[in-house]
Amino acid sequence: MSDSDAIIHIENLSYQYPGSSRLALRDINLQVRRGELLGIVGPTGAGKTTLCLALNGIVPQFYGGRFFGRAQVAGLDTIETATHVLARHVAMVFEDPETQLVTNSVLDELAFPLENTSIAREEIMRRIPWALQAVRLDGKEAKHPSELSGGEKQRLAIAAALATQPKVLVLDEPTSQLDPVGSQEVFSTVRELNARLGITVVLVSHASEELAEFADRVALLAGGELVAVGPPSRVLADVSLLGRYAIRPPHVATLFGTLAAQGVKLARTPVTLQQASDDLAVMRPRLCIGAFDPRAANHPGTVEQPQAETKTAGARGSRLPSRHVHALSSAPRPLLSAHEASYAYPDGTQALQRVSLDVHAGEYVMICGQNGAGKTTLVKQFLHLLEPTAGEINFDGADVRGMTVSQIAQRIGFVSQNPDNQIFTSSVEGEVAFALHHLGMAPREVEARVEESLAAMGLSAHKKTHPLALPKGDRARVVTAAVLAMHPDILIFDEPTTGQDYAGAMRILDVSRELHRAGKTVIVVTHHLYLMPGFAERAVVMGKGTVLLDAPLRQVYHSSKILRQTSLAPPQIVQFAQRIQAAEGVPLPILTPEELAGCIHVREKGT
Amino acid sequence: MSWRSFGSAADSTFTRLDFRTKLAVMLTATALAFFWESPALMGGLFIVMVLLNLVARIRLTYMTRVLVLMLPFYAILLVTHGFFNTSVGHTALWTAPQGWPLIGGALELTREGLAYGVMVALRTLVLILVTPPTMFTTDLNALIVGLVRLRVPYRIAFAFSATWRFIPLLFGEIRSISEAQRLRGLALERMSLWKRISVYSRIAVPLILGALTRSQQVEVALAAKAFSGSPERTYLHQTALHASDWALMAVCLCALLLAVWLRVSMGFGRFTLPGL
Repeated sequence: MSDSDAIIHIENLSYQYPGSSRLALRDINLQVRRGELLGIVGPTGAGKTTLCLALNGIVPQFYGGRFFGRAQVAGLDTIETATHVLARHVAMVFEDPETQLVTNSVLDELAFPLENTSIAREEIMRRIPWALQAVRLDGKEAKHPSELSGGEKQRLAIAAALATQPKVLVLDEPTSQLDPVGSQEVFSTVRELNARLGITVVLVSHASEELAEFADRVALLAGGELVAVGPPSRVLADVSLLGRYAIRPPHVATLFGTLAAQGVKLARTPVTLQQASDDLAVMRPRLCIGAFDPRAANHPGTVEQPQAETKTAGARGSRLPSRHVHALSSAPRPLLSAHEASYAYPDGTQALQRVSLDVHAGEYVMICGQNGAGKTTLVKQFLHLLEPTAGEINFDGADVRGMTVSQIAQRIGFVSQNPDNQIFTSSVEGEVAFALHHLGMAPREVEARVEESLAAMGLSAHKKTHPLALPKGDRARVVTAAVLAMHPDILIFDEPTTGQDYAGAMRILDVSRELHRAGKTVIVVTHHLYLMPGFAERAVVMGKGTVLLDAPLRQVYHSSKILRQTSLAPPQIVQFAQRIQAAEGVPLPILTPEELAGCIHVREKGT
Repeated sequence: MSWRSFGSAADSTFTRLDFRTKLAVMLTATALAFFWESPALMGGLFIVMVLLNLVARIRLTYMTRVLVLMLPFYAILLVTHGFFNTSVGHTALWTAPQGWPLIGGALELTREGLAYGVMVALRTLVLILVTPPTMFTTDLNALIVGLVRLRVPYRIAFAFSATWRFIPLLFGEIRSISEAQRLRGLALERMSLWKRISVYSRIAVPLILGALTRSQQVEVALAAKAFSGSPERTYLHQTALHASDWALMAVCLCALLLAVWLRVSMGFGRFTLPGL
């Protein structure tokens, strides 16, 4: 790439935050072409956000610290040029839609950066409709940001960035808090703007499938260093490289990587659905594809499993003792159930409509659905934080209306998306003991339960540590340990993987699986469908306040039409299997790349 | 939650006035409330303020809620002034019976003290009611531009608006932290007051931490949006003083000057009661 082509020049860039002993960025050398869409991947702490902030001078101008090397964007040195001047050329969109919308209406949000850069009023009025139209938010000018959905908020943030007509648009994990629809909206908007207006885009994301689809090049950052940079077909296809840095490759790359390991000769490793289909078509004469037998699968959720009595306490080598499980009054009766439960908010919004659902002791259930599908409302009803406006919720045979929130909380543990809202004390052991003391438990009993819960969550070594000094994944474990110390029958995890990198998400889900193996009933609310095979057995799909489907995971993942109704999409590998199934006529109800790889073999000579 | 939805139900004559005009009305009413000590005049001013709030279409529920909230304070005012404010007069309405220990025959509820207490209560009500027609009928942008036109630094005017944007988020955070505590099995409803206070105080840890994190994120987002706090910027929203604004400001100025002249020359507005 010649210098004149590049709009971003980074030379030997190293950076150290004030008070930190390690470099957040180390010897970064990178050039980005005009009109290019560069994806950045990397585990938590890789330096992705720091690199983004270095592009508009916020690092180091806002944070201070030690900055080495040079960064030049649109011909401007990011140290010598003030951030408010750089902001005219480099616009940024951050992860959290709440903290980047700073005014009180959609219109003002768009006008704000333009006013700050002294753009004439007439020009502001000309640009606003254009920017709103570009992100399909026209007609919502008068709305308050709080009235928008998550996807709309991010699109508004993009529109505000766009209104400045920047040369470079930097997006730092803009979809991590969005459901699949919101995510798709953001990705397609960015791609369209990049293609139509020629804006250079730098996009940080954990969504490898989407980056494979949309990015021109992908940069892999780890430990502050630029490990690899190149087209997605090279970087995202290198399954072993991604594995070394705990980055999830696109499903089709994992599949073809597994096939290669089985001896299938590949011309390349595909990273998109289309590439995978094309490659398979070329390789097809050399391969035989067999049907998949769900009964032979290792994953739960394979076939319909008998409910209620399937899980026993202390099973499968768990570290959790069997006395965690309450003696439940009757096995066949559901432990938790909703009967025709409805809920209407005071403003008339019907959040739940006659939902009926039974959860039996020992089940691992996933509840999924788009934003506003009613998932949170249902969980709040289980916890008696909300009362059904019609119908009833029963726990262990009794109507929850007869129980207080605290009584239910002692038997249904709840771990919310943001562990930081649930941390109240200054040590890990204090946190676990916090509620136990208030419940009037004897000190010896408190101590025993704290020890037991910390051991179960692998936190015994951190007893005296301040919970907030731990990484986010571990903070979620602290909260889980605190909930577990009450010996609940059920654990509900609300969007536990949101904002986590792949390794962090897997650590949390591993905890849920361990609890399940120890006999707990586990309910996980999530829209990260690709993470759940191997964990959940059953999935409840919600949409518009109703249950659209309640079935074993495998059946749900292959019910694309129903998933689409609630704006979800099956994982990439399931979509690929469905394409093969349609073409070959062999049943392939697989959940993972490994399962699909097991169905594809090299054709032996003569067969 | 929008700024105007807080107390005002709909558009009114007030929403069409410039913020500076409303500020002038607010300052005039405040000055008169401190200038006058006559219970009758204060009562009149209070009625004017209620009417002003009704014209501005401030929700009646807001006004009644304020009154209910202030009732204990007014009870204390009436008792303290009625029994102990002897500087304004000594006409006894009630005297503690002689047989009562310590205070028998000495403690008196005076007519003047009680009237003064009523006047102070009305004054506080005027001061409370003076804000909604000004603030709740003004669009936040008009308020910012109005403040900037009054030479308030833009940085301060923006901080005011941004605070309003984030108040609902803060309340949402308090609600979710409090919910998280209940979901740890804490039966707050069964706890003693002392224990409850100790549990509530724990909300501060995640709240402050969350607020600090958020405020830094907002600061970074502002820097990325070219915010420098400099007054060298343009404004999408514009404000202009119309004839009605000038007329109302003139009325305010005249009322204020007249009140000063009457007080100085005739003592009009001093604390008096019929028969004094």
